[in-house]
Amino acid sequence: MRCRSLMFGLSVWLLIFFLLSASSLAIPAFSRQYGTSCTTCHIDFPKLNDFGKAFKDAGFKFPKDDESFLKVPPVMLGAPAQKELWPHTVFPGTIPGLPPIGLRYNQFFQYTPASANNYTPAGSTTSPNVPRTDFEAGFFSIFMAGNFGSDIAFWVDDDLSVSGANANGGLGDGYLKFVNLSRFLKLPTDSLSLRVGQFELDLPFTQARSINISPYDIYTEANIGVASQQNVNNVFAMQDAAQGVELSGGHLYGGYHYSLAIVNQNTSGSAAAPPNVASPGGFFSDSNYKDVYARFSYRFNLEKDPTSRHDIQAAGAMGPRDHTYLNLGTFYFGGRSVQRFNGIDTSDNATVITAREPFYRLGGDFSFNYRTFNLFGLYMYGHDNDLLLNSGATGFTPGPAAKFNGGFLEADYLMLPWVMGILRYDRVQSSADFLNQAGSLNYFSPIGGTRNRVTPGVQFLIHSNIKASFEYAIRPQQALAYDANGKPLNPFRTNTATAALEFVY
Amino acid sequence: MKRTLVMLIVVMTMSSLAASAGSISGKVSGVTGESVVYVEAVGEKTFPAPTDQPVVDQKGLMFTPHIVAVQQGTTVQFLNSDKVAHNVFWISVSGNKKLGHNLGTWPQGEKRPFKFDNPGAIPLLCNVHPEMSGYIVVSPTPYFVVTDKSGSYKIDNVPDGSYNVTAWHEGAKNSSKPVTVAGEGKADFTLSK
Repeated sequence: MRCRSLMFGLSVWLLIFFLLSASSLAIPAFSRQYGTSCTTCHIDFPKLNDFGKAFKDAGFKFPKDDESFLKVPPVMLGAPAQKELWPHTVFPGTIPGLPPIGLRYNQFFQYTPASANNYTPAGSTTSPNVPRTDFEAGFFSIFMAGNFGSDIAFWVDDDLSVSGANANGGLGDGYLKFVNLSRFLKLPTDSLSLRVGQFELDLPFTQARSINISPYDIYTEANIGVASQQNVNNVFAMQDAAQGVELSGGHLYGGYHYSLAIVNQNTSGSAAAPPNVASPGGFFSDSNYKDVYARFSYRFNLEKDPTSRHDIQAAGAMGPRDHTYLNLGTFYFGGRSVQRFNGIDTSDNATVITAREPFYRLGGDFSFNYRTFNLFGLYMYGHDNDLLLNSGATGFTPGPAAKFNGGFLEADYLMLPWVMGILRYDRVQSSADFLNQAGSLNYFSPIGGTRNRVTPGVQFLIHSNIKASFEYAIRPQQALAYDANGKPLNPFRTNTATAALEFVY
Repeated sequence: MKRTLVMLIVVMTMSSLAASAGSISGKVSGVTGESVVYVEAVGEKTFPAPTDQPVVDQKGLMFTPHIVAVQQGTTVQFLNSDKVAHNVFWISVSGNKKLGHNLGTWPQGEKRPFKFDNPGAIPLLCNVHPEMSGYIVVSPTPYFVVTDKSGSYKIDNVPDGSYNVTAWHEGAKNSSKPVTVAGEGKADFTLSK
């Protein structure tokens, strides 16, 4: 039993570390098309600089005069003059002159200090243990992005293999984005765009394209109520890919930015949850109800010179650079968690009854940048209404809401154009997590309701497309067993040193 | 009579000048593409700075032209024709890092001048587009030329005399050789990286 628990714990831990870790992507296809370096758009790939943000805002093209920068001309899918004939012809578009394909591979090496031995009971020769050192294959991913003309952008990325196995990959983001629809409505430029497909929510700080090896803890936090006290079992986490539509506007490199997404309900953490039945059209969703995600932020560029302040990049004495800025934002996710139970109907017949528990995630964020120093952080509060099965199993009564909160604070300092220093603090406060895990013998069994993690790291660009990353996670204190008074026995921290080597091409 | 004498003197002077202005020609091989060939010095003679100001453009994320040869003392205008921000800097002049310079940032359509007072090869860089590459080769004399792509060159109007002629090519080691010009001089170079 203990052996099985440990194996389960290890699996969860490995999942957290490798499967859920940052699916960091940069786009070599753009380098080929424009004949330019990764560092035109990235600080330390995949982290975007101000120009990269403008490139993304514009629908994966140069914000101004794009054609003059393309070294490989696009293939015309219709002569431009065909526009005059529309609607009596297909509106002419383009496809990239080169297949817009980029590939990425990474691998990991992990070292776990002596605390790992806490999982090997003294004298036991059969129990599993946490390996002190471990090589792990990472992702092999393909990603494609570009612009089809008429300001229609596309993105598709897929993990072809994960951890060396070829069956575990999956679609990351896959969408079309209709940029600057505002021009048809005579609204301010770039004030309205539409994205359709599967995408990472417009998070204040991306998880899918983060430079960190390990994910932000708050983004991976699901809200599971205290067993036997609460019925909340919401596996949704902010980092999950969402399927739906998103309206957005503004710019990431200055001024306002907003997004409003309507996405499939996803309380099981996957697109096609087991209780669901495929519709005749083959679409999956937890219910007809859709979740809503909204974000608004405003970025204050702080240059004194107004021309420089409003440009995509600031004009420095030694050349263009990222702005000095303060970005403030807020975000909200609202949905309903769906659970189904065996119950009794009004005729005393057995039936399935459904609990729909509204939940929301609400947070704020900031980012301050000065030259090559970036300090940013996020706070999030999670709240799930709880519905308990009534005594007759005919319906539900309200129970205590399940709550959690937390966030992170991170400082990135580009010491040299190829050396990035990182210091990060993660915090998640969830008493339910503690109560559910305490004494469970699971690998990740924190002491107390608060999990703090400090993660210093450093990354080296060997070339602008090859990166070596290191991080040392000083993990929360944990225990596998407690005495009769609830005092943890042999508390310890399973700190981990992880190295990653990745390349894109 | 007086007029005839003046005419005679003028004709003789011109003939004499024509006889002393020759050329140096040849080919730079061992490398591909354009090279620069220049006469290193003409005795102790100094030359006034030219008034022409060649332009190096930044267009389509490229320095255009890729290689510019100028005489020492020439002012070069650096233009930004792109709708993205650029800058121009160089870390050295022929390896002398004390002569490195950064011209900063300027908007589209504007030029920024710089006077090149030190002879040598200057690798131009842009700090936001590291793939951008250009060269200015500053010749100490007005006798220089950018070869054609096959490496062939001809420097005209070189006074008769003996000189050191140097060939430069991007990424290759410079090569110098003595050349005597008596109407016409020949110098072929084989460069290696």
